[in-house]
Amino acid sequence: MRAGTELSEHPPVRRPSRKGRKEAARPARRQDGGRRKREFTARRGAMIAGFMSPAVIFVAVFTYYPMVAGSQMAFRHWDLADLTDTSFAGLANFKEIFDDPLWGTVLSNTALWVVASIVPQLVIGFALALWLRRRFRFRGLYQALIFFPWAISGFLIGVLFRWMFNSEFGVVNDLLMKARLIDEPVAWLADPHTAMVVIIVANIWYGVTFFAIMILAALQSVPDEVYEAAALDGAGKARTLFQITIPYIRTMLALTVLLRIIWIFNFPDIIFGTTGGGPNNETHIVTTWMIHITQQGDYGKASALGLLVVAGLLLFSVFYLTATREKGAKS
Amino acid sequence: MKRRNAVAALGLALTMTVTGCSAMGGPGDGTVTLNMVESLTNPARTQVLKQLIADFEKRNPKIKVNLVSPPTSQADQKMQQMLQSGSGVDTLEVRDITVGSWSNNGWLYDMSEDLTGWSGWRGLTENAVEAATDAKGRTYFVPYGFYGMSLFYRTDLTAEAGRDKPPRTWDELVEQASAIQDTSKRRYGYAFRGGPNASSNVTAIIEAYAADRLDPANGYRLTDGRTVFSAPEASAALEKYVELFKKGSPPSSIAWGYPEMVEGFANGSTAFLLQDPEVIATLRESKAIDEKQWSTAPLLAGPGGKAVQPLATAGWGVARGSKHKAEAVKLVEFLSQGEASATFAKENSLIPILKQADEDPFYRTGPWASYVAMNQAPDTYLTVTQPRDAPWFTEWTQKADADVQKMLLGKMTPKRLLDDWDAYWTAKWKNGKS
Amino acid sequence: MNTKESTAGKTVRIVFLTLWLIFTVFPLYWITITSFKPPGAIFAFPLSYWPEEFSLDNYAGLFDKAEFGTYLVNSLIVATVAGVLATAISMLSAYVLARFEFRSKGALLMAALVTQMIPAFIALGPLYLLMTDLRLVDNRFGLVLVYVAVCIPFCTVMLRGFFENIPDTLEEAAMIDGCSRFGALFRVLLPVMRPGIIAAFIFNFVNCWNELFLSVTLMNSDDNKTVPTALNGFISSFNIDWGSMSAAAVLTILPTMVLFAFASRHIVQGLTAGAVKG
Repeated sequence: MRAGTELSEHPPVRRPSRKGRKEAARPARRQDGGRRKREFTARRGAMIAGFMSPAVIFVAVFTYYPMVAGSQMAFRHWDLADLTDTSFAGLANFKEIFDDPLWGTVLSNTALWVVASIVPQLVIGFALALWLRRRFRFRGLYQALIFFPWAISGFLIGVLFRWMFNSEFGVVNDLLMKARLIDEPVAWLADPHTAMVVIIVANIWYGVTFFAIMILAALQSVPDEVYEAAALDGAGKARTLFQITIPYIRTMLALTVLLRIIWIFNFPDIIFGTTGGGPNNETHIVTTWMIHITQQGDYGKASALGLLVVAGLLLFSVFYLTATREKGAKS
Repeated sequence: MKRRNAVAALGLALTMTVTGCSAMGGPGDGTVTLNMVESLTNPARTQVLKQLIADFEKRNPKIKVNLVSPPTSQADQKMQQMLQSGSGVDTLEVRDITVGSWSNNGWLYDMSEDLTGWSGWRGLTENAVEAATDAKGRTYFVPYGFYGMSLFYRTDLTAEAGRDKPPRTWDELVEQASAIQDTSKRRYGYAFRGGPNASSNVTAIIEAYAADRLDPANGYRLTDGRTVFSAPEASAALEKYVELFKKGSPPSSIAWGYPEMVEGFANGSTAFLLQDPEVIATLRESKAIDEKQWSTAPLLAGPGGKAVQPLATAGWGVARGSKHKAEAVKLVEFLSQGEASATFAKENSLIPILKQADEDPFYRTGPWASYVAMNQAPDTYLTVTQPRDAPWFTEWTQKADADVQKMLLGKMTPKRLLDDWDAYWTAKWKNGKS
Repeated sequence: MNTKESTAGKTVRIVFLTLWLIFTVFPLYWITITSFKPPGAIFAFPLSYWPEEFSLDNYAGLFDKAEFGTYLVNSLIVATVAGVLATAISMLSAYVLARFEFRSKGALLMAALVTQMIPAFIALGPLYLLMTDLRLVDNRFGLVLVYVAVCIPFCTVMLRGFFENIPDTLEEAAMIDGCSRFGALFRVLLPVMRPGIIAAFIFNFVNCWNELFLSVTLMNSDDNKTVPTALNGFISSFNIDWGSMSAAAVLTILPTMVLFAFASRHIVQGLTAGAVKG
């Protein structure tokens, strides 16, 4: 046996064995439930209700109630410029959104924003997680340093990147010019295309961490035996990754990706702090556009847009969950 | 031990949150608490307001004032939410661009009856009295000052470029700005406004070009009743304006709004800035340029030699939902006269509302001199009312700003823009009042 | 992994990790440097990558001009209390969702997912009206309540993953020993779940610490403002005060950074237990 580096790659984390849990826990519960079932049901129901109710009450009162109350504005004329008429408007607000010349831009921006953010986040996050499994000197410090962009607020990140990409006094232009990659300062935030690049880079900077943490955590749940078996079979690195590691953590991976998609979709903060949707309203995503409409005072239209967001994400999630589940069943 | 400490800390934190509620109720000795909301917030101004409020509270021991200062970018929205809820606001900042829709929604209280016989009226300038009363004789706010533009310029940079005088016309501005601009040194000519409210400067140059034919009661209208955007002078003005952006302004300024423009001048990177006197206070605090390096000049004229001063205003009003209207009006009165008003205007560099300011040496020297000069030549510097109180004015600026950016990005021709704007206002005037 | 790493692989790894570290840390380095430059020097050209003199002017200004200390304390209180409450409440719901089968379970989980899809802006208006009726506008306790509601859904799902990874034999043994279900939860599960609970709390804390839009909407007076609102306030209508802004940014990041430095081990370890079920 050679000295530890390769063998002790797994930190000695306390890790419940999945196999062990399933075998031991399930029969025990069934047995137990069979014997005392009847007297149990009433108490069990009361307990479920009791334990669930604080969470349900909080979310119902402070999240669902305002949302439902807010969504009724979507079907009314509700413009702060003139609140004397708040009559029922049917689907007029929705029509107004679809007819808006910005709607197309906003949709394609949102798609770009989500895809161009999430793919690098996932890939880099995955790579980081794989490499962070190895033990190396200062790993703890390294981990702490690269993890904490996640702890900074989106608005602040937006402002930070706006400052760095400032065309006159920004450090990015300065560095690029020192490296002779550009001859004169680029006005990053003045052009919709480069502005889009800036906000996506900012988002990648922020979001890689979440993937790295979640995947790193998931990787540590893959039992060593699985890898040992793969190694015995003579599987190469790539094969091990795609045929062992990824399938093993796919449920978690799929859920993390879904959650991130929803969050990124609903994440106006960075854009709000950098471009505010400009120039020429060409860097709006759906949620920043919604802020923009709210600031114009058209709450009816903004609410309609909000409902479209919820509906779209809901539809997407159902498809996504079905698709990933089916695949899961096959393997 | 450790755990007990944690529990104690949490308990303390909990108590602090519960007892942390301020401005709720108050002691039962008849003390009234007013909520006062400002919207053009900045830390220095908030300090001034706090001092004035302290003074007010000292004179009126039964009234407490709780000042609410939301971040500017979200202030209007927050105020609208508060007003819609019908409570939580007593005295508030009302601007010429918000008074139209807010009074229309029944959010503002008409103070005209409370203010009949108010001694403060006598101290106000003609402009101020006029701004305080709308066409139907109602008073929704008493102005605290006026915003009028002048040209801020760098004396050292213009001298370096071999010019002994600041530009007098838009033409000269473009010429000087392009002469000073040197991107390799990060030095730029003009702090251009391409972002929020870009349209206000576009209309300023258009009005200057068409100054001779403007309706003094409505800066967007010509004397023949058509819109100013339909005039041939308008397209000449736009051409000049685009040239100014391309040759004499930092490229990023396409996204600049108020803060970025002022920052661009205050940090020493641009030589010209067209702004409200409010900026004077900010510039005096600048560490990048000292007071000897800059001065102000009167507003820029068009080819006809005339300039148009688009006067904007804001003031203090009372919310209709207020439960303490008498006290709220009292606060408005306090802020609109005497020492309080003079201090507020001076500290924030506003064109004052008080007649007595004419004799004040403060306004005769330094950066203020150009405002006095403009006031003394009303035939050259026309004061024209802008249709800023139209209920659709917010909608208009949003649309117009977007169009200006489109034009600067080359996605809309100046002609399309003018046709569009002409059509917009023609339609609005046909349907509505104003 | 038992595979031996090739030299090329090792090089790639080291290069990649180094580049990423630079990319991650540089913005923070830059804002820190900016915050220590004397106000005039921020716009000096050419840019300096190391200030010739370290100045504390920007920091002093924060406490002179604005009551930044008050904002920090407010944020700390609100985020801590909301984080603790949300974690506690979520533990109860997560426990039930992990241990029992019941008819509305699927719907409840879906309802939790939907909360993540609601854009905050659709609800701000009605929420403000609701809080006015409850007399909780401009009140730190009111903000805590709203934050708790915001945190619960994700926190519940996260904690549910942890519970599912703990064999239920554990608390059943305790219950046979005479503990109530609640007692079992506290005495037996809590210690085992510590890393997971810490991770959940940190997640909640960070979320509340950084929240902007709800705080702007619900808080009025200076005494009750939180840090993100103050940060937003530095972009006033007059100018963007980059100096104060960067100083404030550094002060804002510091507490979360310290928290992370102490807890990053717990976070990974905690999430390890929960991640499988996500």
